[in-house]
Amino acid sequence: MTAVAAPARRRSRLRAVPKVVWLFLLVPALVEVGMVFWPAVNSFYLSLTEWNGLGAAKPVGLANFRNLFSDDVFLGALKNNVVWAIGFGGLSVLGGLALAVALNRPRRGVGLYRSAIYLPMVFSLAVTGLFWRVQYQPDGTINTLLGAVGLDGWEKQWLANPDTALYAVLVAAVWRQVGYVMVLYLAGLKGTDPTLDDASAMDGASAWQRFRFVTWPQLRGVNTVVFAVTVIDSLRTFDIVWAMTQGGPYHSSELLSTYMFQQGFTFLNLGYASAIAVVIFALALVFIITYLIRATKEEAG
Amino acid sequence: MTAATLDPVRQDTVASGTPPNRKRRRWGFHAVMAPLAVIWVAPMVFVLMLAFRSFDDIAGRGTAALPTSFSLDGFREAFGRGEMGRALWISVQVTVPAVIITLLLASWAAYALSRFEIPGRRAILLTMLAGNLLPPQILLIPVSRVMESLGLYDTLVALIAIHVGFGLGFYTFVLYGFMRSLPGELTEAARIDGAGVVSIYARIIMPLCRPSLAALAALATTWIFNDLIWAITVLRTEAKLPVTAALLNLQGGYVSNWNVVAAASVIAAVPTAIVFFAFQRHFVSGLLVGSSK
Amino acid sequence: MISAPLSRRGFLAGIGGIGAAGLLGACATGSDSGSSAASSTLTLQSSLSDPDPKAALTKVVEGYTKTKTTLNTIAIETFRAQLPTYLNSGNPPDVLTWYAGSVARDYASKGFLLDVSDMWTGNGACANFSPALKELSTANGKQIFVPTNYYWWGVFYRKSMFQQWGVQVPTTWDEFITVCKTIKSKGAAPITMGTGSTAWVASGWFDYLNLRINGAEFHRDLLAGKHPFDGPEVKAVMDHYKQLLEFIDPKGRSYSWQDAVTPLASKKAGMYLIGAFITSAVPADVVDDLDFFQVPIIDPSVPVAEEAPTDGYFASAKSKNPAGAKDLLSYLASAPAQQQFIQLAKSSNLPTSTQVDTSTFSPLVQKGIKMLGEAKGLTQFFNRDSSDELQTTADTALTKFLDKPGDVNAILTEWQASAKKVLGS
Repeated sequence: MTAVAAPARRRSRLRAVPKVVWLFLLVPALVEVGMVFWPAVNSFYLSLTEWNGLGAAKPVGLANFRNLFSDDVFLGALKNNVVWAIGFGGLSVLGGLALAVALNRPRRGVGLYRSAIYLPMVFSLAVTGLFWRVQYQPDGTINTLLGAVGLDGWEKQWLANPDTALYAVLVAAVWRQVGYVMVLYLAGLKGTDPTLDDASAMDGASAWQRFRFVTWPQLRGVNTVVFAVTVIDSLRTFDIVWAMTQGGPYHSSELLSTYMFQQGFTFLNLGYASAIAVVIFALALVFIITYLIRATKEEAG
Repeated sequence: MTAATLDPVRQDTVASGTPPNRKRRRWGFHAVMAPLAVIWVAPMVFVLMLAFRSFDDIAGRGTAALPTSFSLDGFREAFGRGEMGRALWISVQVTVPAVIITLLLASWAAYALSRFEIPGRRAILLTMLAGNLLPPQILLIPVSRVMESLGLYDTLVALIAIHVGFGLGFYTFVLYGFMRSLPGELTEAARIDGAGVVSIYARIIMPLCRPSLAALAALATTWIFNDLIWAITVLRTEAKLPVTAALLNLQGGYVSNWNVVAAASVIAAVPTAIVFFAFQRHFVSGLLVGSSK
Repeated sequence: MISAPLSRRGFLAGIGGIGAAGLLGACATGSDSGSSAASSTLTLQSSLSDPDPKAALTKVVEGYTKTKTTLNTIAIETFRAQLPTYLNSGNPPDVLTWYAGSVARDYASKGFLLDVSDMWTGNGACANFSPALKELSTANGKQIFVPTNYYWWGVFYRKSMFQQWGVQVPTTWDEFITVCKTIKSKGAAPITMGTGSTAWVASGWFDYLNLRINGAEFHRDLLAGKHPFDGPEVKAVMDHYKQLLEFIDPKGRSYSWQDAVTPLASKKAGMYLIGAFITSAVPADVVDDLDFFQVPIIDPSVPVAEEAPTDGYFASAKSKNPAGAKDLLSYLASAPAQQQFIQLAKSSNLPTSTQVDTSTFSPLVQKGIKMLGEAKGLTQFFNRDSSDELQTTADTALTKFLDKPGDVNAILTEWQASAKKVLGS
């Protein structure tokens, strides 16, 4: 990822890879194969079967995948997942980046603000869901506050209304995630060269210009991590939706992960659930591969 | 908590003797940040208040009302019948070894991939990262079968193993970026002095990676400590459940006892909060992923 | 690949080649020796995580001294999801809590449940249970379930509030609607119903209206897919349901069933059609004021049926100690254990054993026993009479109906389509 260090590194590398290095690679790789990939292969196989968790799985070919695309709940969940990926990913990355830039330079109060923003991260997603469920109750904090400032017309049953349920959960998820992304970007910003920024400020560059042309290009490394984390988290989102709405009311806040869990563990349609998982995995892979190909090209060019 | 957030702001604006233009900008900064911080902290303050209210107060006046009671019943119940104390200790027993083993193994893999010409190393790295993209829900059944065939089902070792396996990809990816950014001259000199591959790893690379490892350790702690789904997959004995699963049990039983659930949530968050704040300094230098410094 | 993909050997083979896995295995044998000695102890896996029932079962299990028994309580959601894993594991829990109905039969047909037929004959622990209970516990001609308690559903209300509002307990549909109107005119919500995180509560009214209008026979056939959900019978049910909508507290759509008890307890709502387990969710000072009435009769020519969901235990077929498991089941089914559990759990459940002296039970429970005794037919509940998957189609249809009653025809058509998918598979 860095062009600067490349020549030096090439010199330092041993021509033949020592045996012990293979061991260094093999042990972790095999642990991951055993704990992750081998079960995954089983799941991929399961997506081609009909299985209820007991006895033998019955191979059915691609029938599960064919059924998926005539399943309205699945298609709705797919659409919600797009909304979720854009809303959750977009808001937490933009919010996190904006806050990181705002809170980057040391000044009075910055430590407190930073702490306030990333404190939610210490709570598990299930607990976060629980917190917010209380706030969203019909007589909860949010409606009470709206009433207090004279906006009674806006009071809603946030989680019971199919038009608002998904977004209500989204707000809670973003509330927790923003601090996390901010921390990552703060780390990235510390790695940028402040003299460049100061120099361009002397040259009369506006704040936006300095960010766009000086800071942003230096954040490429951290962007990769933020991107990977955001895609992983948005496609795997489960606990918080499960804790707040369980995908309801009538599937309006259903995501692929919650639908998969319901199919797999409430209905024991494990073959069908595995097919949904394969779709999630494929989507994540498309995102990541597209990005990495671009990143690699940039690096090469 | 709210007051603490606001106080320094007020002092700051009063005491500053800076030129009017910068002063105005500072005002603007605090005018935006202070309310934002309050909004961010508000839900947590709210839960904290809920945890200290009595059951009758909540049942009679609703969850949104300002507290008129102060009671430790929520905490007493959470530690007593909810057995949060035992669950916390279990979580520590899982989290500490899991974090150490994962980071150790990830640093091995990252070292091998970043400092040596291993064929297809980029593909290996991406494949390992891809493992992290798998939605965990669907691996639940196969994973519990794997654990069983290893004779590990319903042991804490199983939970540690699965956390190690599932974290490796991401940590390797981050450490790889960090190690690649270390200048080659450092190891070159040691190599010429006759240091072996292992001693270069142990004496040069690992110490240099300390900030990155610290940052990842903090992240890993919050992830592993807050995990729910793997815990309930590979464990079935109540006495072995970590804190998040114990909290779930508690929610099932105390659904209308908001003070107990809130108290337990607060208890569950304290250890991660401590770790996070203890390590927060390292974040600034720890995640410089491949940046050209 | 007939049964191969997930057999233990398959996993072993896949894992066997991995050195690291062996390493982990070695650690495990050193650190955990408890699981191999399972045959000398028994494990009871329980989903009763509510404080009172959990404490009650703990006490009951402590009373069993023949074999050391460990009680494991896991929240119901997790328990349900992990049940196949529990039963499939090489060293499964010996005895598990569950309920009577189609799910238990499903597991039995796969051979995962211990045949306990001998407990139902001679001087077995279940020999004196009613024939209806026996039928409920039977799969493929064998008994696989041990029912230990059951409960009733009814319209719960506060006696003092009915007095204050000046309304009488209704026995017909018209009287019921009049009561609703009166309560509404006094500024309270006539009916509370928590269909937010517990959407299945909405099926309570559906089940009962169907039982009252079309009868138990039709209800069972409907859930078995022998009648369509968009036929005229179900439309008649929904017409009656629609009459209730203006009386149901709309905030209930955000509540769980427990949250929805609060308006009833705090006098903001009048009535709640729910199971007898409601008594464990009301504050102690309200319990004595709580009473219930039978869901009013709509068509007197339809034989009166009631919901009577039955809970109990089954044992794993793979138990290392089947004789011990049966002995534990016999103990749990015995009259003293049933009585002890019911009293400690404060849940108003009824014993399945005829030898339990119910005269010391509260008047409310006596009334429940009497109502079920007079019923001409008994059903379980929507999901227990069908499946959890069909229950989800009902949840979708009914919560949507609560929001958009005008779309009832479209909703029923959709319901029928999704029910067909579930039942067809």
